[in-house]
Amino acid sequence: MKAERVELEAAYILHARPYRETSQLLEVIGRQHGRQGLIARGARGPKARWRALLQPFRPLHLSWSGRGTLYTLRNAEPAAPSAPLQGRRLLSAYYLNELLLRFTTRGEPRPELFAHYTAALAGLADADNAEVPLRRFELALLTESGYGLDADRDALHGAPIDPEQRYAYQPERGAMPVERDGDEQVVLTGASLQAIAAGSFHGADDLRLAKRLLRQLLDHHLGHRPLQTRRVFAEMRPPS
Amino acid sequence: MSFSPSLQELLDALRCLPGVGPKSAQRMALHLLEKDREGAARLVTALATAAERVGLCTRCRMLTEQELCPVCAATRRDDTLLCVVESPADLVAVEESGGYRGRYFVLLGRLSPLDGIGPAELGVDLLREQLGAGHVKELVLATSATVEGEATAAYLGSLATEFGVAASRIAHGVPMGGELEYVDSSTLFRAIESRTAVESV
Repeated sequence: MKAERVELEAAYILHARPYRETSQLLEVIGRQHGRQGLIARGARGPKARWRALLQPFRPLHLSWSGRGTLYTLRNAEPAAPSAPLQGRRLLSAYYLNELLLRFTTRGEPRPELFAHYTAALAGLADADNAEVPLRRFELALLTESGYGLDADRDALHGAPIDPEQRYAYQPERGAMPVERDGDEQVVLTGASLQAIAAGSFHGADDLRLAKRLLRQLLDHHLGHRPLQTRRVFAEMRPPS
Repeated sequence: MSFSPSLQELLDALRCLPGVGPKSAQRMALHLLEKDREGAARLVTALATAAERVGLCTRCRMLTEQELCPVCAATRRDDTLLCVVESPADLVAVEESGGYRGRYFVLLGRLSPLDGIGPAELGVDLLREQLGAGHVKELVLATSATVEGEATAAYLGSLATEFGVAASRIAHGVPMGGELEYVDSSTLFRAIESRTAVESV
């Protein structure tokens, strides 16, 4: 296997876990090289190198080398200050990381996803409504993974989507025209479907609908293993 | 080199200790068996006793063999202050700093959503009970200065608000004896952000 060397790639840490006595095993996403597994030797403990740097959500430049599927981190430099994420928005950022980990595999270049992720973090830090960047990222993730919303034609006859018509959106199939609301499906008008597919959400109703629709699609493609972040967030809500 | 089965088992067992690899395990085992049988016997008793008796304090989750740990059992401490730390080692560190006279709560971890570590794993139910009991006036969040530590603090801060308890976060800044030139940029950023007024001479 050929030895590889990557210099100062723009990257984010998606997940870090302790490895051996003083090291960390990092799961990162780089702009050019996509997701990679890196060992950061000596990154824990009192005299750790890069201790303040190797944190999630911080724009970094990372250098690594090695062969096989797990590389060795050689250098880490700050690319920009951390996005000022706090409270609920910080937790949402963890959700983004888990989605990326679940929808990508190591070694697959995903420059577009990297760009969407960067935009989503910036959005979480700045946007008035944090739901908007979250929905846009979910949408982009589905599209980039080949599961994008089809808002042009219905799945029954291939007829153009009618803004007035109501549709039940089914994973793998698409928009099925329906006359009344079903029990479990998300039912929405053609106009709402087109707005969601375009990533433009006007008002709380659109956002709620988009959340339900995108969740249904994400869940379908995630299979039976539920998202850890979602379970943890549910536990964190105050009991009502 | 192949050792006799009992010795090999000892070498393997010692490696469960942090920082102990094959070489140090061998040094320890040979030392105990060669030069210090008495020490070995003492170690056996101490380890067996501790492993059997030491559990968690029912109030703060610190390691203890009584129902309450020494800090919780102490009468002359400030009941209105509750300091949340991630581990028993952190509790010891805060205690040794000498600047704190309140009570503690040990999470035995920190929020790590991607690993599925949430409120249930951190004993938050027990913490809720204590906040609900009404004597705590301030929750001091002494979780680590990492993103996970921050997330933990943010969550516990909102929990405190729910109970009408004030929450504070320990300061981050330039370490004692630290020259600014060598302090990393994010620490320095925090230090500038949370600067304090200087008392005039």
